Amino acid sequence: MKRRTRFQMAIVLMLAGAFASAAMAQAALAQTTGATGATGQGDDEKVVFTWGSAGETSSLNPMSGYLATDFYFWAPQYHLLINFAQKDFSAEPSLATDVEVSDDSMTFTYTIRDDLTWSDGVPVTSEDVAYTLNLYKNNNAYLPSPYLSQIDGDVVATDPTHVTFTTANPTSLYSGKVPYMYDYILPKHIFEEVEKGNCPDGQDPCTPKGFDNIPSVGSGPFYISDAKPGEFVRMVKNPYWEGPDPHIDEIVYRQFRNNDALVEALKAGEIDFAYDLTSPNLFNSLKNEPDIGTVAAQVPLFDYFNMNTGSAYGPETGDFKRHGDGHPALTDPVVRKAIRMAIDSQTLVDKVWLGYATPGTTVIPPVSAAGARWQPTGDEVIAWDIDGANQLLEDAGYEDTDGDGIREMPADSIDPGRPLEFRYFVRSNDQTTIDAAPFIQGWLEDIGIKTDVEAVTSTRLGDIENAGEFDLAHWGWFPDIDPDTALGWFICDARPPDGSAYDNDDSYYCNPEYDELYKQQRAELDLDKRWDIVHQMEQILYEDSPYVILWYSPLLEAWRTDTFTGYKPQPEPNGDALENYGGISDVWLSLRPVSEGSGAAAQTRGIPAGVWIAIVLAVVAIVAFVILRRRRVGEEDI
Amino acid sequence: MRGYLIGKIAQAFLTLLFVLVFNFFLFRVMPGDPAAILLRGSAAFNPETLEAVRQDLGLDQPLPEQFVTYMGDALTFNFGDSFFESGRPVGEVISAAVWPTILLVGTATLASAAIGLLIGIYGGWRRGSKFDVGSLSFTLFVYAMPEFWFGILVLMAFSGGVGPFPALFPTGGYETAASDLTGIDHFADVLNHMVLPFFVLTVAYLGEYALIMRNSLIDVVGDDFIQTARAKGVREKQILWRHAVPNALLPTITLVFLSIGFIFSGAITIEYVFSWPGLGWLTVQAIEHKDYPLLQALFLVFSVAVIVANLIADILYSYLDPRVRAA
Repeated sequence: MKRRTRFQMAIVLMLAGAFASAAMAQAALAQTTGATGATGQGDDEKVVFTWGSAGETSSLNPMSGYLATDFYFWAPQYHLLINFAQKDFSAEPSLATDVEVSDDSMTFTYTIRDDLTWSDGVPVTSEDVAYTLNLYKNNNAYLPSPYLSQIDGDVVATDPTHVTFTTANPTSLYSGKVPYMYDYILPKHIFEEVEKGNCPDGQDPCTPKGFDNIPSVGSGPFYISDAKPGEFVRMVKNPYWEGPDPHIDEIVYRQFRNNDALVEALKAGEIDFAYDLTSPNLFNSLKNEPDIGTVAAQVPLFDYFNMNTGSAYGPETGDFKRHGDGHPALTDPVVRKAIRMAIDSQTLVDKVWLGYATPGTTVIPPVSAAGARWQPTGDEVIAWDIDGANQLLEDAGYEDTDGDGIREMPADSIDPGRPLEFRYFVRSNDQTTIDAAPFIQGWLEDIGIKTDVEAVTSTRLGDIENAGEFDLAHWGWFPDIDPDTALGWFICDARPPDGSAYDNDDSYYCNPEYDELYKQQRAELDLDKRWDIVHQMEQILYEDSPYVILWYSPLLEAWRTDTFTGYKPQPEPNGDALENYGGISDVWLSLRPVSEGSGAAAQTRGIPAGVWIAIVLAVVAIVAFVILRRRRVGEEDI
Repeated sequence: MRGYLIGKIAQAFLTLLFVLVFNFFLFRVMPGDPAAILLRGSAAFNPETLEAVRQDLGLDQPLPEQFVTYMGDALTFNFGDSFFESGRPVGEVISAAVWPTILLVGTATLASAAIGLLIGIYGGWRRGSKFDVGSLSFTLFVYAMPEFWFGILVLMAFSGGVGPFPALFPTGGYETAASDLTGIDHFADVLNHMVLPFFVLTVAYLGEYALIMRNSLIDVVGDDFIQTARAKGVREKQILWRHAVPNALLPTITLVFLSIGFIFSGAITIEYVFSWPGLGWLTVQAIEHKDYPLLQALFLVFSVAVIVANLIADILYSYLDPRVRAA
């Protein structure tokens, strides 16, 4: 009798579970149908713009963040002194309305706006500017401090609307004529407390670099309200913002781990904008989707074929000591020029990027400070020419003396008779470098150069280049808009000094004439004259070819055309449509829903809560039933 | 028995101590300077800023000094701050990923073990039957199948919606980003995000259990005591569940507990496909960025989990198999 009762109980349990499930499911379904916003808590009318990418964040605090994605949360909330114009990257006033430069170009006085208020109600003043720049400088803040390296001593707030500072040498970089100082101005009243160990959120330990800056206090139209590292960042409206009223209430960033999921999320309407798709095939898959817009945006990003021009042979100036074992033939500009002539950038663009990239020429990309780029024309162009490259090598004495298809170094060279066999490194974590290798290897073979291709991680390649133990390598740069940084990668003092310490001149290029021009462009106040010098430098690099610029990479973007409109490419007309360079960008003020209701927060997807409860109850009931039944069977068997 | 237990526990502690020391040196022999990894490609990649980063990360100290600091901190469960998450405490970084990992990988491991063992039991018991042939092909296929590939297919089918498959579930994450859901709605939201990765992981894991259980049961079924039971007229179900399965379970116990130990290691490919914020992907990022403090702590967590799971398996084994106790 007892056994039978248990069995019956199990059945009753299961049936009760099923009934309860059904009832709750119905209730839940009814409830879900009634809700339109993501929260279901009465904020249906909020306009929420959701964008996603596979980009990581490192820190939301400008003192310690170092990744590109971090900038996308600083730009809507912090001002720069001088901003990057949306149209063409030219300099435009932002927090500073005017810059006064002394006759010797060594003292700079910035006039600061007095009409801005931090998102906690405290006015923005020159004290914030002076404090922030000194904080960056004194703490070696990773990304901001290099732009302040020429400032001698402290930045001083002379009155509520003026700051001043001096430099050790004459310079044009702080003149306000170009947007050079990429330093977001922070609230002094917050970071001063952080310096004392009092973080607003009670974080412990609390240091200026360790402070997570969530929630933040910003001077722009938005500030960070909450975030979960690796998952999302949410920005909300600054209640004290007195500029043009944004049409959106919240910006939500969703981090994906891969681009396939990002694309699916866009198609399903989970996000409004998919940023940086990286794969041209995935990008193509979106082209014919309904309600999806796409752009292969031009950004300042390039891939280069790096040649070791002399880690083991270059002049020992400054801290540099010869090191490594790069092939001596690459110290000869003729060999490097022949390699440049043998590489067909257009084919690489077509095959590796399916046509979305731009063939490369000089180290200053098409997207850069207005007027800074030099482009070879007419006879200056070193075009793809295998026969010409062969002739060049032949004329310089690099002949294939043993008939094995590989040329040898001339008799009067550093290493006579040494075959032109080069180590060629690609990066295992960058597919485009791997895809390009067979093409480049084939072309070099056509001019009698043998290459051994090896794929290594970026970390490993960094070490290899640093040690000078390479001949050729494929890597990429994301240069600043102002050409100063990119041109600085090729000065003699930027060579990794001894194999143990890093620096930027990974081709070990060293040319005193170039170095002199570098100094001149830094000091030149007249913008046109500065660009003339910059153009000369670009031409020297193009002809000397420490790098072959393979292509200018695109930024692949896609968005839903049925939710938001008002994207603003920077620069016009084909730049990044969403994330602009600089401080408060126009896009966050122009972005608006396509129609009423189209900007509602994304719906949660999946099975409603009631149905889940039903499923859980049903599973419990089934398990209970099986267990009790087995026990009954077991007892009967004994 | 007490001696056996004490011996096993002492062994576990010694292993842990070894792991603690080994972890410090293991990651430092990896190529690359963490400071350079953080800054390469930015305007800040210059000797001055690199030196500042090294100071911030404590890498400017001599190695013996770093080791003493590390051991002292580790013994007080202070693992320092993450390098690549710019100063976020390692404890906080790991604890944020532990629960999603246990929830996904733990439930998938249990589900796959339960389903896999059942398939193995029924297949092994009816060797050569249609069920056995079918289930063997299926389990071999899912065992050999790349999780990543299957995950992408499932993602495209049930998140994007392809052909007859409905676009039902979210594309990834642990919960709807910035949704403010609470209570039962949050519970359902998490389950909805978990459905697809859970399904993929369960299918991917169950093959191993099924194959081992099947083979183990086939071995046991041929033993004399099974024949004796049959000769005595014991019912087939009784023979299976009371005699064959308990004996055949022994080898699978090690596997199950090892798998439980590895739950903490996460499921890298699935976390990648479904953007699940677990320990697996965190480990990949930590390795990529040479984040010593995070790596040290992560590998300690993994080691503790495996050591404890093994210890439990050893103890359980001694109860289930008297021969182990006797030895």
